[in-house]
Amino acid sequence: MNRSIKSLYLALAAGFGVLILMLGYWQVIAAGGLDERADNPYQFERQRLVDRGRIISADKVVLAESIAYRQKGNRYYRRYYPQGALAAQVVGYATPQQGSTGLEQQYNQYLAGSYGAGAILDKLRAEQKVGADIRLTLDTRVQKTAESLIARSRGAVVVIDPRTGQVLALASSPAFDLNQVASDFATIRKESGAPLVNRATQGRYPPGSTFKVVTATAALNSGKWNPSSTFNDTGKYVVDGQTIRNDGNTKFGVHNFTDALTFSINTAFAQVGKRLGPSRLGGEMTKFGFGRPVEIDLPSDEVAVSGRYRNGKLLSNTQRDEDAARIAIGQENLLVTPLQMAMVAGAVANGGRMQRPYLVKRVITKDGVVVKQQNPETLDSVSSAYVSSEVARMMQNVVREGTGTKAGLSGLSVAGKTGTAETGDPNRNQAWFIGFAPADNPKVAVAVVIEDTSGTGGQVAAPIAGAVMRTALSATPVQGEPQP
Amino acid sequence: MRLRTREMYFLVPGLLLGILGLAAAASARTDTLQVGPWQTSLGVAMVFVVMHAVLRLRAPYSDPYLVPIMAALTGIGLAELYRIDPALAGEQALWMTLGGIVFCAIIVFLPDHRVLERYRYVIGLTAVGLLVATMVFGTTVNGSRLWISVGGSQRVQLGELAKVLVVIFLAGYLREKREVLAIPTERRFGMNLPAFRHMAPILLFWGLALVVVVALNDFGTALLFFGVFLAMLYLATGRALYVGLGMGMFVAGSLFIWATVPRIAVRVGSWLNPFGDAQGNGYQMVQSLYALADGGLVGPGFGRALLVTPGGTPRIPELQTDFIFSAVADDLGFVGSVGVMLLFVLFMARGFAIATAARDGFSKLLAGGLTAVVGLQAFIIIGGIVRLVPLTGVTLPFMSYGGSSVVVNFGIVAILLIISQRSRQGLIDAVHGAPAT
Repeated sequence: MNRSIKSLYLALAAGFGVLILMLGYWQVIAAGGLDERADNPYQFERQRLVDRGRIISADKVVLAESIAYRQKGNRYYRRYYPQGALAAQVVGYATPQQGSTGLEQQYNQYLAGSYGAGAILDKLRAEQKVGADIRLTLDTRVQKTAESLIARSRGAVVVIDPRTGQVLALASSPAFDLNQVASDFATIRKESGAPLVNRATQGRYPPGSTFKVVTATAALNSGKWNPSSTFNDTGKYVVDGQTIRNDGNTKFGVHNFTDALTFSINTAFAQVGKRLGPSRLGGEMTKFGFGRPVEIDLPSDEVAVSGRYRNGKLLSNTQRDEDAARIAIGQENLLVTPLQMAMVAGAVANGGRMQRPYLVKRVITKDGVVVKQQNPETLDSVSSAYVSSEVARMMQNVVREGTGTKAGLSGLSVAGKTGTAETGDPNRNQAWFIGFAPADNPKVAVAVVIEDTSGTGGQVAAPIAGAVMRTALSATPVQGEPQP
Repeated sequence: MRLRTREMYFLVPGLLLGILGLAAAASARTDTLQVGPWQTSLGVAMVFVVMHAVLRLRAPYSDPYLVPIMAALTGIGLAELYRIDPALAGEQALWMTLGGIVFCAIIVFLPDHRVLERYRYVIGLTAVGLLVATMVFGTTVNGSRLWISVGGSQRVQLGELAKVLVVIFLAGYLREKREVLAIPTERRFGMNLPAFRHMAPILLFWGLALVVVVALNDFGTALLFFGVFLAMLYLATGRALYVGLGMGMFVAGSLFIWATVPRIAVRVGSWLNPFGDAQGNGYQMVQSLYALADGGLVGPGFGRALLVTPGGTPRIPELQTDFIFSAVADDLGFVGSVGVMLLFVLFMARGFAIATAARDGFSKLLAGGLTAVVGLQAFIIIGGIVRLVPLTGVTLPFMSYGGSSVVVNFGIVAILLIISQRSRQGLIDAVHGAPAT
């Protein structure tokens, strides 16, 4: 009987071997997938246990923090946003029920403390996870100015430092109170104007005449035109059987290229576009970053691609069968984000070099150890420094005597370009302004868009841009520790 | 080294595991260093010390490893119960005290287990009686009818006792019939089989197991009874063919029931695809899988996983009984739960070693059967948790909360140690001459 005893033992032991393998499958191999299932309550519980890192602006204002509380003897944390709706779409939220968005999502692993070898060591030592703080480039003084100026309308403001790509403000209106996400998300969702959408990065608008900055750069890059090149405007320009007219059917007569930008003369730019052709103009668009996602540190599904769309699908920049004359004046299915247009202004301001935009300067632990640091990075060169200085001079003229005078600031030279994309309904213009200041030594670049207004870019968007740039230029660095 | 001294050396770390586990679980509850429920720790340690002392006096030559293994398993179980609800650990400690008393009583009053062989039919009938009583008078809890109410809220799981009685009966019966069962005399269906009158008990058992599934609505108990029967049949005859045939019949019968009884079909459905009905029939399974995933490789430690909601409700229904292993897997991770499984394998290794060392057929079958019943029961419930077999409502020996289970398993170890004592005592007597009795 001893032989069968041994066989039985081996069979049962082998059975336990199978159990061990299957248990290993669930606990180690399949564990990640199980953890991420939407109905897994552990996710929710684990989030409540983490002392999540703070989100702190460049001027040392706390935008998000975790507050400890005790329940039945256990310590939990809840997320609190001291500034409420300020920069709501950028900061984002992190809740188990609604998921997470914005920086809360993008920097989750740092905020939740699950980065590096320390996370594994913490798990081995069964220690509570402590998240790291993220320090933003965003300045609440600029952000507040921008938000207050667009609060009554729908629209967006983007402010960047063209020298570094640091984002100083990213405002989107309407906004929502981040503290309300956990308590009453349904109401936020029902509100009109889609407050959850970050219009600054996700909103796709026809650029209107602001696109002429791209066309002007392309024209000077080609060497076929310079700021003094002359055009003769008869009030209309016929291309492929279609007539392009100026705003308000104005006739400008003989003028030069600088005048064409200053007064936003469509016929001149349409001619330039026609001569450049779709592939040349498209190539210049590619250098400006159109047609591909902007590499900003926000979740990729919260950043829209700027470019030409047909039936909702993105076309290649150099698609042949498109009408280059219309592209040149910002029509022909062009849709762009305010972020993209701020980068266009920034590239011209920065001597033709486009900087990668970023929101987080560094990730830093509660003990002051820098975990991650982001440094300025040049993406592409859109033109030579000479060409960009010529375009900048032309843009300065726009604000000095052209369509953008309302963006002017006393004692400072401002460069810019207005845009008014018409929708057929005179009360539903999309008003634009892009620009930078000071024009001779740019420190700030801006893009403003206001939706569904009866005004033009010069009337509605330009004054907002001016005020925001003034705040940005006067904002001095804040020393010391963040104020709660 | 003397065997009992060796037992003591292993018992100390075995007990420490539970005592430190309780302290760790208590510390996790408050976030401060705690000694835990020291009355419970001390009480359980005392129970084991008394058991050790009784063994020193009455069974000095018995296997020195089983009690330490039992101490480690019960200790981990106790710490897990404490982290689920401190009251459960207190009650379980009382059950363990009762188990210890039963253990000592068996060691003291049953010096020779072979008397059991004489009463095999009475014991067998008692087992059937207990099962029938459960079927008739049983209280249905969580859809399974496994309990008998004995006044107030107290319930006894007679099936736990019945399983030991069945093993004793089978050991006696198979010892008697093993020759005629082992030698095939007839050829049917291209297989060499014994005469039908010897096969009849197998068929009877097969039918009974299926009746249990339907009547008690409990696949686990049926699988356990039938599995132990096949294991002992194999031990007695050494013929794997019987095991294969028996398992084939069981699977065929189960498939038939699955196809005809809708209630069973729903259970199988939630076994094969628990996520298909994650909020309904699959809920328990899905929550358990989430607990396994949460535990990961190493787990956060005793009492630190998120098994219990802030309100005090366990996330997995029946966490303290059927799913105590999921609690271990969450708190201690893969490493810890493999450790628990290896303790069961070690238990089986010692149990089967006792069976091998026993010097008569009845003792071998009894020791082998009792070991198989513990091993199989652990296999069936853990197998259900890892989804190898359908989820069932059997307890994890030594670890699950429950008086019937604890007392019966302590009793099983006592009988194993008696068998071990008898065979070694016999060996010593044979060398040194039998003592005058």
